[in-house]
Amino acid sequence: MTKGVFLIAKNNGYVDYVKQAVFLARRIKKYLDMPVSIATDSVEYLENIFGVDDFDKIIKLDYVDSSNMKYFFDGTLSKKAASFKNANRADVYKLSPYDETIIMDTDYIISNDLLKSVFDSTSDFLIYKKSTDIAKVRDEIEFEKISDTSIDFYWATVIFFRKTKTNKIFFNLVNHIEEEWSHYRRVYQITSSLFRNDFAFSIAIHIMNGFQTGSFAQQLPGNMMYTTDKDILWQLTDDEMMFLVEKKDYLGEYTALKTTGQNIHVMNKFSLGRIIDKEFANE
Amino acid sequence: MDERLEKALDFSNYMLTLNNQKRLLAEKYQEGLIYFHNGSQFTVTRELITFVSVMISAEQDEVVVIDDNSIPCLVNDINEFYGELLNTYTTASNDYYTEYTKLKKNRSVEKLVNYD
Repeated sequence: MTKGVFLIAKNNGYVDYVKQAVFLARRIKKYLDMPVSIATDSVEYLENIFGVDDFDKIIKLDYVDSSNMKYFFDGTLSKKAASFKNANRADVYKLSPYDETIIMDTDYIISNDLLKSVFDSTSDFLIYKKSTDIAKVRDEIEFEKISDTSIDFYWATVIFFRKTKTNKIFFNLVNHIEEEWSHYRRVYQITSSLFRNDFAFSIAIHIMNGFQTGSFAQQLPGNMMYTTDKDILWQLTDDEMMFLVEKKDYLGEYTALKTTGQNIHVMNKFSLGRIIDKEFANE
Repeated sequence: MDERLEKALDFSNYMLTLNNQKRLLAEKYQEGLIYFHNGSQFTVTRELITFVSVMISAEQDEVVVIDDNSIPCLVNDINEFYGELLNTYTTASNDYYTEYTKLKKNRSVEKLVNYD
């Protein structure tokens, strides 16, 4: 059985996901000691700027522009509208060269070896449901249910799966939900028209469970810890990260917070990009 | 600003950061308590340790325990399992204690987040 981590990187005009993927691949090797493969629509850019040594396999994706637009914040006071090229996440089932795969967002910063153990799991599909906002000043309800009157929220940020018949059905279902998004978002009472993989995966899990809460998806170890793009990643040294997190009711003010040895989903892509630039400059 | 208020706000800022760091440490402790056995995932609790200990006292050779995902797991070597549970629990708790003690000694925001 082949095992590895799979990343997808599709750059837009503002966010360099390829750079994030290279950075994450190095941390995965350091903390998980697993091979990493990447699917990207910017293969030439990857080869010319970063080289190919960090990846086991590189899979070329066709360039597709996206009309899925959203604001990317850089702290509480700065934001840019850019395309959110999150389509075809479910293709990972076909694209992954591994029998057992962890698919990970490129802004998930690995700082420990906790996820390594999932390859021994008796479950064929693991995903995060429980999550913790490290700032604890925001309403977390949006990460508990996909809408006020709807089903449980699952994070598509990190997923472990084996290539099984059931999982093939699941990933095909996610593709279908994505294609028919305007229908499914209404059925599941999602007010925003923005397509999100978290929502599509949550809906697919609900359907796979017979339209109820069930055991199709088991939980990855620990909690999904995250900071939103209203926070700023300020410093990173080995497994230590320092954040400036949004201060409740004080727009533009922050509280310092340090994590050690904890995996964090860093949604502020701009501050992550600045930290990666610093790290690469020091190498 | 009134000096009394300024000092109170400084302390308030310090407490905010201290509480945040304590919370993150508690999260890390919970991750440290996770133990994997035969593909099953367990968060080690005093209840689990006591249950396994009772089963050993009752001279059971093997035991079925329910993991974090509500999946039953057959443990064949109960003594080894017990040893691993104890090891995971004590290692995580000792680390928690050490880190917590260190944290409490830091009397400024800068020291709490170890910012140079």
